[in-house]
Amino acid sequence: MTAEDETPAPHRFELEPEDLDGHTIEELTDYLEAGRTPSDPSIDRSPACRLALDALERLGRLTPDLIAADLAAEPETDESWVRRVLGGIVLEARAGRRIPLAPPRPNADLVITEGAVRGLVRGAENVVPGVLVGRCRFEGDVSVLGTPVRVLVDVSVPYGQAIPNLIARLRAEIADRLAAHTQLDITAIDITVRDVRPLPGTEGDPVDR
Amino acid sequence: MREQSARGRDEQLPSPLEQADDGIVAGRAADGDVAAFSVIVRRYTPMMRASTRRILNGSAEVDDVVQEAFVTAWQRLPELEDPRKLRSWLMRIVGRKALDRLRASRPQVSTADIDHPAPAHAAPSRVAETRAGVDALDAALQRLTDAERECWVLREVGGYSYDEIGEAMDVPVTTVRGLLARARKHIIVRMEEWR
Repeated sequence: MTAEDETPAPHRFELEPEDLDGHTIEELTDYLEAGRTPSDPSIDRSPACRLALDALERLGRLTPDLIAADLAAEPETDESWVRRVLGGIVLEARAGRRIPLAPPRPNADLVITEGAVRGLVRGAENVVPGVLVGRCRFEGDVSVLGTPVRVLVDVSVPYGQAIPNLIARLRAEIADRLAAHTQLDITAIDITVRDVRPLPGTEGDPVDR
Repeated sequence: MREQSARGRDEQLPSPLEQADDGIVAGRAADGDVAAFSVIVRRYTPMMRASTRRILNGSAEVDDVVQEAFVTAWQRLPELEDPRKLRSWLMRIVGRKALDRLRASRPQVSTADIDHPAPAHAAPSRVAETRAGVDALDAALQRLTDAERECWVLREVGGYSYDEIGEAMDVPVTTVRGLLARARKHIIVRMEEWR
């Protein structure tokens, strides 16, 4: 589009290549995103480009403020909304692999699902107050009886307690539960502490996420 | 799930699960723990609503889009390789759902007819100038074409890469770059007029 009819007002910002000493906004954005390196003298020496870069930077600084203002304007999430969302999900979608509980026989098959065993592992946290089990994985072919299986568990622990002690108790409980409820040949239970939380009841320094 | 009054969360101590980081909570939810998923829903609903509202630009269907996104998230959580990346992963899902919704409902009502309410209660520490800047940016965004605005929001609010935007909008990456450049150009020209 050309504006031949009128000379642009002096304050009006023009950002076409002919206004930017041959550069485009796209190039200038890339230049900014690359931290202005390697430096490009034809951009750095152009007053028009410098003005445009300043404007792009101002926009960049303002964007997080816009996002924060948008977020602050959203109503608090209420429980009826949470129920509505949960009501829409299919709960039995997490069965995973079938884990045999006894050698297969011609007309009888006894299995427990991987999802159920994960639930058992998660439940071990109840004997170690404050510990939370995150993701749980079984390495090895759990669908074949007698295959060596390694258990990999992520955990979150409360701040201020001796971690080795917590983990030893959790590991023992997981081992007991798996031995009691499955025929899995567990060779190792690897626990990774991925998160340390403030103790419940010691509010004051909010967790940064 | 614990009983909570709708607005009473401030008076109650957060549960350990509510305090746990995304990696733990998403990992549990991936393994089928519904309580963990409800923590995700509480934690990310405002962010997903805000981003959807920007993309839809005033449509009343924000809740439907966000709900659909959570349903998809629940189904696909086991595929999330690194549960610590939950936030950006959710933003991608909801962005795509919002675009699907736009595509299904076009031709749209003119965005000029919609009185988009200015965000009502920003943090008190926010200085007036920033406030005015945010309002000016808001106004500039409203005046972009739909494609420019969608592109800009996916990039700047949703954190999409150029490739991801191209895939989500079903256009070549060169088009994405062009749309973004035009969006930025128009925003800046309008913002500078305001200054």
